[in-house]
Amino acid sequence: MIETSVHLLPSTIALGASYALVALGFVLVINAVGAVNFAHGELVMLGGVIAVGIASLLPDGMAAPGLIVLPGVLLASAAAGLGLAALAYLPLRRAPPVNVFISTIAVGLIIQHGVTAGFGPEPRVGPPLVPDVDQSVMVIVVAGAAIAAVHLVLSRSQFGRMLRAAAQDPDMARAVGVPVGLTIAASFALAGALAGTAGLLLSNQYFVTPSDGANLMLKAYIAVVIGGWGRVWGAAAGAVLIAVFETLIAVWLSYAVAELALYLAVFAVLAFRPQGLFGEAEGRRA
Amino acid sequence: MFCTRGATACAGLIALLVPALTSPGSAADPVRMDVLVPITGFLALEGTAQRNGAVLALDTPPDGITVTYDVADTATSPEVAVNALRRSLDRGNPVAIAAPIFGTQMLAMAPIAGRAGVPLLTVSGTAEITRMGLDIVFRFFPGDDVVKVAQARYAVEELGAKRPAILYQTTAYGQSGHEHLVETLAELGVAPVLEEAIDPGIKDMSPALERAKAAGADLLLLQLHSGPTALTVRQAQERRLGLPIVAGSAMHQPTTAALLEPQQLRGVCAETASSPISDHRPAAKAFTKAYRDRFDAEPDAFALGQYDGMQMALAAVADGAETAEQVRNWLAEHTFEGVAMTYVSDGTGNMAHDALIVCYDGESRVPVITKRYGDVDGVLAKVGAQAK
Repeated sequence: MIETSVHLLPSTIALGASYALVALGFVLVINAVGAVNFAHGELVMLGGVIAVGIASLLPDGMAAPGLIVLPGVLLASAAAGLGLAALAYLPLRRAPPVNVFISTIAVGLIIQHGVTAGFGPEPRVGPPLVPDVDQSVMVIVVAGAAIAAVHLVLSRSQFGRMLRAAAQDPDMARAVGVPVGLTIAASFALAGALAGTAGLLLSNQYFVTPSDGANLMLKAYIAVVIGGWGRVWGAAAGAVLIAVFETLIAVWLSYAVAELALYLAVFAVLAFRPQGLFGEAEGRRA
Repeated sequence: MFCTRGATACAGLIALLVPALTSPGSAADPVRMDVLVPITGFLALEGTAQRNGAVLALDTPPDGITVTYDVADTATSPEVAVNALRRSLDRGNPVAIAAPIFGTQMLAMAPIAGRAGVPLLTVSGTAEITRMGLDIVFRFFPGDDVVKVAQARYAVEELGAKRPAILYQTTAYGQSGHEHLVETLAELGVAPVLEEAIDPGIKDMSPALERAKAAGADLLLLQLHSGPTALTVRQAQERRLGLPIVAGSAMHQPTTAALLEPQQLRGVCAETASSPISDHRPAAKAFTKAYRDRFDAEPDAFALGQYDGMQMALAAVADGAETAEQVRNWLAEHTFEGVAMTYVSDGTGNMAHDALIVCYDGESRVPVITKRYGDVDGVLAKVGAQAK
């Protein structure tokens, strides 16, 4: 069985990297506005659907269809992130947090049903980033790069400082010259672009279905709760931990027992270390 | 772009927005047959097939019959389905209703339809819906006591499986199929070496495949939804598992096969009630062509089952049934030659009794009908014997 676990290690890391990619944009919005974007799973799904749609326009046998569609996916997903901010966040930014997560749930459902109506309910397979290269490796590489980039942006850049300032005290941030509205819009656009990247990669590896969003959202939320609210590396670690339960523990004990164990672990974190394994970066937990 | 590629869904949206469509026909008093199916949510794929099959039948009624119908989305909750049913009953006097594939919704709707005496025509596989003691539920898709028997028998009798592993979904669909597979395997003298329940949200099937290998399985029996079925087949190929696969009906769906390369499908078989795109009989070819022309999509067994069900209800009307009660009685008492098979009630509303095994040859995504299991539950023979 140990040999089997070793065999499963690459797919465990790839799965964890996929979940981490999904969690990244979610964490970014938490850092930017302190709000939970429950439509993030649907943004990931939408990214996958956009990738499938653009790829269908390409001639067969393209060298790197995923790379070719990536700019279009990034742009369209960033626009979707902006649209989400305009519809579900900005009008409610001074309302209690519960209003925002209800509004994001509503927008998520609109996205899901819109995709079903416009694109069809069936699962689709997205283009590989680069054909003939193990897509698991591509997921791990892209996720690693994205996590590092988002971490650097949030912790070392002026934009990251503006984000945090806007999230913690928007009025004070505005008073010292931070363009709060623009900062929020940029963070939603960036979160959308990250969701689109995740959607593109996942659509090839695990297919994309209009109803995927809720499940992806659940994984992202658990990863963030385990890792620490608003912590980029914490969310990545939480994502890998979910993958460990779903693969390495499942192969020993079965999926059902592994899932039970995962949720018991989440309960344990909530009970004994509610700030998450790496502590909270953002205090206003929803 | 999306509407061109997803014309089925676009047609669905249009149907949602345009109430009370009237099919072409004569000026006779129209009969009403509403279509209440899940067009959104996790059963949207199957529900859309149902909707398309029903609409195709209702738009081509027999000469002299005029049909009006609404299409309503029952989504994924019993409450929405019950509301849709109540609206349908309030709006007019439907003589029959195309009802959701989602068994949980059927269980909620059936008592209400029972009080109104309106027959519900469905392709839901949930066994309980025809065991409620209500005489208004008619199932035009073989239940698990038919298709799972075919799946297990093919694995054991044709492929020689002695140590199968069963991978099934944690949903009602998965659990019902799992129970019937285990039961049939026991009757065949075979015990599964692994029975693994898998949540529909699981993306990595490797643990299940490794557990099957470690248990010494010689064949995989799948009872999974569309996406998980395709993931399992692909990951089994990628891991070079080398085990034959006999899947549930999700694998026969063209949308499932479209997720995989033809070579990844080589040797994979599946049970189903029918496979319109594989069936070369004239009626099946005509249905497939009409479906493609209308919806720009490939039909599956759910679409054909619902089509046949609505055709049988229309045949009842053509034979003089004018009220819901008369249609219900006609459905309960008559035998109907549908496109997929011969339908007759077993006394509880189970109308379909045949199953097919289809297999992929690795060259194409269109499966080949490999084996027919006719009258698996013996109802057709029994009815025939009674008729004699």
